Amino acid sequence: MSLIIRDLHARVKDGADILNGINLEIPKGEVHAIMGPNGSGKSTLSKVLCGHPAYEITAGSVEMDGQNLLAMSVDERSRAGLFLAFQYPVEVPGVTNANFLRAALEARLPKGEEINVVDFYKQLRGRMKSLGMDTKFTSRAVNEGFSGGEKKRNDVLQMMMLDPTYAILDETDSGLDVDALRIVSDGVNAMRAPFRSFMVITHYKRLLDYIRPDVVHVLYKGRLVRTGGFELVDYIEEHGFDFVRNEEE
Amino acid sequence: MDFPDSGNDMKLAMEKVEAQTRLATAPTPDRLNENWRFGRPHKHAAALVELLADTAGTPSCGTVTIEDASGCTDKIDKEDADSELLMSTIGSDRILGLHLQRFGKGAALFIEGQLTEPITITYETDSLFTPTTLIIAAPGARARIIERHITRGEGCMVCARIVQAAEGAELSIELEETGSGTSRAMNIINISAVQAKVRHLSRHSNHAWAREETIAEILHSEGEADIRLYSANRLSGDQVLDQHTRQIHTAGRSASDLLYKNVVEDNATAIFAGNIYVEAGAHDTDAYQSNRNMLLSEKATIHSLPGLEILADRVRCSHGSASAPMDEEQLFYLLSRGIPLHEALQLVAEGFLTDAVDRFHSTADND
Ligand SMILES: Nc1ncnc2c1ncn2[C@@H]1O[C@H](COP(=O)(O)OP(=O)(O)O)[C@@H](O)[C@H]1O
Ligand SMILES: [Mg+2]
Repeated sequence: MSLIIRDLHARVKDGADILNGINLEIPKGEVHAIMGPNGSGKSTLSKVLCGHPAYEITAGSVEMDGQNLLAMSVDERSRAGLFLAFQYPVEVPGVTNANFLRAALEARLPKGEEINVVDFYKQLRGRMKSLGMDTKFTSRAVNEGFSGGEKKRNDVLQMMMLDPTYAILDETDSGLDVDALRIVSDGVNAMRAPFRSFMVITHYKRLLDYIRPDVVHVLYKGRLVRTGGFELVDYIEEHGFDFVRNEEE
Repeated sequence: MDFPDSGNDMKLAMEKVEAQTRLATAPTPDRLNENWRFGRPHKHAAALVELLADTAGTPSCGTVTIEDASGCTDKIDKEDADSELLMSTIGSDRILGLHLQRFGKGAALFIEGQLTEPITITYETDSLFTPTTLIIAAPGARARIIERHITRGEGCMVCARIVQAAEGAELSIELEETGSGTSRAMNIINISAVQAKVRHLSRHSNHAWAREETIAEILHSEGEADIRLYSANRLSGDQVLDQHTRQIHTAGRSASDLLYKNVVEDNATAIFAGNIYVEAGAHDTDAYQSNRNMLLSEKATIHSLPGLEILADRVRCSHGSASAPMDEEQLFYLLSRGIPLHEALQLVAEGFLTDAVDRFHSTADND
């Protein structure tokens, strides 16, 4: 079982091409890191996988555990086990964190069934504490007025609560200080399991020192131009992305 | 404005008003009249005037229910009338005049001290009901008042509410206006504060047509007065909600704020005409006004006219209006967590309104 992306091309609706033929297979149980300079299409890839309406797929296919991912609606993809921790999590005024998560969890139950509220709050508060979040955040509107780091943690909290099989983390490290980075990484590491995979998007080695990837890819101008092991991370840390730029041009 | 010395005087003031002069001169609702210009008002408003005129002198049909542990509320149920209660409106003088001509029913609150339990007043009708609420807060009084209007069938609720808050008083007032889908409602609200804090929230649901005129006035002494007006409404079908507001600062070093939000679906219409008026000499005033609408259909109509008239110096004022469809990124965020489309739409739309309700509660709690 795996997430298989074949020759994926996508563009902004009526706009420029951004993904130019991505081929990638992430088997269950593995952590894949995606690195690449700004603007190479990392966030676009993650949003396209979730079905963001701003983009149009022009070619290719994506299979998730044998299902045609691209034929599914955004919410179906989530319920089928896909999760994206956004680079820029959105503020939703007037909808509390707790109600938001309850709605997301209840959507996963058979119609008419409700979650056990006591268990839900117990689990929620436990996970918030493990992420170093103030439990008062349960009754605050989703991400509204949160600092950059608080928003990132909140997305990781959602990931923990929704228990996905394929989780994408888009620059979750940006905005986190050293301590927060360790706390969040510990949380992700605790979720690593043979039945789950991660796609970790980052610019920096420091996150990958905590969340050791099995495979590392470099995305450049909408294509995966390098695949390797941790040595690729070390190389990029030292030399930056100039080597891909030079070779590709 | 003078505050009555005792509850008795105040209750006298509550009775029916001689409004003939006003009636004789007041214009009939018409599109040519500035205050009735928008959103096809005349059909409903003219019918309302006719209805009120035809039934002048007949008893008001509806019930008044009061829950008040403090005992500072009296039910008004009087047929004799001799005193005057002057109010101004933003366009509906004629309706108010007719309202005041009818036999009085309603509630009179004279609040002293700090009440711990909220006072709840419920007006219910299935025909034409013209209740009046008078809320007078003595110096230092504190209370929370919830007023519910329930109109059934083809009923029509025409309510006048006068709020007077003296030095150091703090009032939190909620109006829940509930209709039947075919009902109509008219609210005329006059709030005046003298170095007092008043928060007012109105929520309308399910009237075929509703109009609300709110005048909030900061009077007399400089400093410390703070009036906040909030509204959060959801309109669908062919519903029309027509809200007019005026924030008047006659004394300086005080604040007023307004946030009115609507979610408008189908063919519904939301009208907002607001005005901030800062009198010459009311220096160091803070006055803000914001009308925000979420449009869920291309056929929905918004008329939003915020306005300012500033005659004083050192004034911080702003007004704004924004109307837009639902934010796509917010919707996508909910969908991406597996929440189905219909529910995601409801959550974001309700959240948009809850935001205003939360602000009302948080300002009421904080001070
Ligand atoms: N919705 C959009 N509208 C217009 N341009 C976009 C949109 N999304 C992405 N792009 C463009 O596509 C390119 C890749 O963006 P992105 O995927 O955010 O890169 P990365 O995450 O690797 O920094 C950039 O040039 C960006 O400006
Ligand atoms: Mg990005």
